[in-house]
Amino acid sequence: MEKYGFLVSLIEGMVSDFLFIDGREIDIITAGKFLNNLDELIKEADSQNVFQLKKVVGGLNSLLEKIVLDDIDDKESGFSVLEKGITLMQEIGESFKNTSGYEGDIESFMESIVSLTGARVLEEVVEASTKEVQPDEIIDEIQDESLLRDFIIEGLEYIDEIEANLLTLEKEPENLDCVNTIFRPFHSIKGVAGFLNLEVIRDLAHCLENLLDKVRSKELSVSSQIIDIVLDGADALKALIVKLQEGMEGKPVEPLEIDLAALRKRIESIEQDVPDTVEAKKLGTILVEDGVITEENLEQALETSGRLIPPKKIGEALISKGSATPKQVSQALRKQVGQAAETAVIRVNIKKLDDLIDMVGELVITQSMIRQNSYILSNANRRLNRDVARLSSITSELQKTSTCLRMVPIKQTFQRMCRLVRDLSRDAGKQVGVITEGEDTEIDKNMVEEIYNPLVHMVRNAVDHGIDSAKERIKAGKPEKGLVQLKAFHRGGNVVIEISDDGKGLNKDGILKKAVEKKLIDNSQDFSDQEIFKLIFLPGFSTAAKITNISGRGVGMDVAKQAVEKLRGKIDIDSVINKGSTFALSFPLTMAIIGGMIVRVGKERYIIPTTAIRQLLRPLEESYNIIIGRGETINVMGNLLPLIRLYKIFGIEAEYKNPWEAIVVVVESENKSKCLLVDEILGEEEVVIKSLGESLKNSQGVSGGAILGDGNVGLILDPEGLFELSEI
Amino acid sequence: MDINKNMKILLVDDFATMRKVIKNLLKQAGYNNISEAEDGAEALKALKSEKMDFIISDWNMPNMTGLELLKAVRADSGLKGLPFLMVTAEGLQENVVAAVRAGVSNYIVKPFTADVLNEKIEKIIAKM
Repeated sequence: MEKYGFLVSLIEGMVSDFLFIDGREIDIITAGKFLNNLDELIKEADSQNVFQLKKVVGGLNSLLEKIVLDDIDDKESGFSVLEKGITLMQEIGESFKNTSGYEGDIESFMESIVSLTGARVLEEVVEASTKEVQPDEIIDEIQDESLLRDFIIEGLEYIDEIEANLLTLEKEPENLDCVNTIFRPFHSIKGVAGFLNLEVIRDLAHCLENLLDKVRSKELSVSSQIIDIVLDGADALKALIVKLQEGMEGKPVEPLEIDLAALRKRIESIEQDVPDTVEAKKLGTILVEDGVITEENLEQALETSGRLIPPKKIGEALISKGSATPKQVSQALRKQVGQAAETAVIRVNIKKLDDLIDMVGELVITQSMIRQNSYILSNANRRLNRDVARLSSITSELQKTSTCLRMVPIKQTFQRMCRLVRDLSRDAGKQVGVITEGEDTEIDKNMVEEIYNPLVHMVRNAVDHGIDSAKERIKAGKPEKGLVQLKAFHRGGNVVIEISDDGKGLNKDGILKKAVEKKLIDNSQDFSDQEIFKLIFLPGFSTAAKITNISGRGVGMDVAKQAVEKLRGKIDIDSVINKGSTFALSFPLTMAIIGGMIVRVGKERYIIPTTAIRQLLRPLEESYNIIIGRGETINVMGNLLPLIRLYKIFGIEAEYKNPWEAIVVVVESENKSKCLLVDEILGEEEVVIKSLGESLKNSQGVSGGAILGDGNVGLILDPEGLFELSEI
Repeated sequence: MDINKNMKILLVDDFATMRKVIKNLLKQAGYNNISEAEDGAEALKALKSEKMDFIISDWNMPNMTGLELLKAVRADSGLKGLPFLMVTAEGLQENVVAAVRAGVSNYIVKPFTADVLNEKIEKIIAKM
């Protein structure tokens, strides 16, 4: 049977691997290979409906996992059951190949699997205690005081880090990365404490690690109680480590004041806790507030309702006592429910939100495919046309609304920056104030983290390089205290974040001199102001005369620029000497959608981001020149711009080879313009960006793919990458 | 067993004290040629610039976890044959299975002794 060919070949592969195992023990690497083979096999067995095989493979899978985990005491019988299973698989495969069925018995095999893997619950408990490494053993191994000292220092550092991150987490409860940065140090402390035989520390760190693991896996959501407990836990760990330190220094060690048992109990109880519900006002309180009953009525009723068996609800108690009518109680009840609904905010897992937005993106595309379907376009049915138009408008509303769901005010980011300015100015010994504007400007939640690092670089740069020293400021007639301004606003489809300082401004001559020194440019060229400013983004450029703690390591600005460009944003600089500098970062509002020009080259379609396009033209034959040293150029309004033949870069056939027959798209990137040669412009469209997946994500010149309105797939071009490709 | 005790071992862990602990254990077992890296990303950098003979890596690290490092090593044609010993914490069985599927050479559960560590290394080298 052809149908089972693949199945049989998979099994044969495993059988021959099995034959090559020397000895009666399977090693980890082969086990890993087998586990992957079994995965493949189970899929194939599933699609071919070979359920006996599925069962056997499932059994082998759990057996192998147990073997890998060293959970099988009788290794010899483990191996022979494995052998039996593989032979059985071979039998089933062969039988299906020949007769499309298998009549043999798999139950005895399954039973031996169960007896090896299933009945281990009891033994495990026993084993766990024997497995425990004997304390003496470890102490003998590590008689190293300096290790303990290192652990104390590093452990205390880690705990400080935990505290700082916990405060961030409290502000951003959905930030899972943050949870991980808190989880990891606990994990590390636990690990080393295990080696150093510091049981109390190990156990406490283990408890806290477990709790955080539950947060990480979303079993628990971040609440102020959890933050409190972890903070208390960190304090207790710190106290334990400090005791250790005091002990080593020979100081008398007093007993720990913290009640560890109580702390552990709290951790355990919160682990089983149900998530907080919205706290509603009590029914009785509402009735009192409404003047239906008095406080005394309520107290009496509470007393009776509590004493009754079974306890009655307060409303019933009030009615039975005649303090309130059923109608009044039900009104109050409705009020109570309504109140809860009013204040209710639903916290949604960001993954669900992303999925929703993704699906809306798909819907937009499908809708546009329907609209462009030739049947729809050519039909004369007014009703159908009207419905399609309505579908379009609803879809675009839906898209707008769903994009909004993910928007958050930039306030939080700005607050972090304010804190940063304060800390940095203190470190730099400067007086710097901060003003923020447009804190309510909303940006895509996914961008908040992404823009954080570039912003930090910019703010650092402003405080460290921008703001001048108090002496210089007074000399220049400026107030002694410097000022950093953060401003956010929407402009077009972009969100703009401006970081300005009233410092010394960018020194153009200094920048040029430095760039020549560092051999980043040659000094013969003429540069415009903008071009000079942009030199500071070149890798390896640093204007600070001395390296400070904060910035000036020569990394920063170029990294910041890359991060901004990754978000399809750009940085503009404006600077006046002695007045200050402004760095304006602008980003598209959302990272999910891009406005693009659809072009055709041969049979392929490409999308050029509209933001990069400067001009479209069909050049005259005379404007095409080959210039020695610069290659092919097109004269565009007096500028000779290099020509990039897209078909050459992508290795495809184009319809036109002569620029004067084709179309030229002038695109700009990094202040350079070049001409892209395309066959035809097909139109402009908003497309939902799809990543090209892990294996293709580094393809140069292409930043993603998209499904076009007509159902075709197009690659989104990345001008910067194309420029680099064309310069090779 | 004939093992080159001079082989170059790359030790990857973000916790400096833990690196020191494992380094001490390695020295007790007779291995002295040890390089260190703070996380998977650093380790990968080191592996690209220098020839290593053996990797011992922690699981949970910032920037690049041990599993990611393992996958990157196994996906790299120049590095994929390198012996890779994963250090994991007790009770994280799903981690172990994931590492085994990703092609780990063996794993070791914290805390461990020099003897256990040596045994694991010898086992891995013997299978090569």
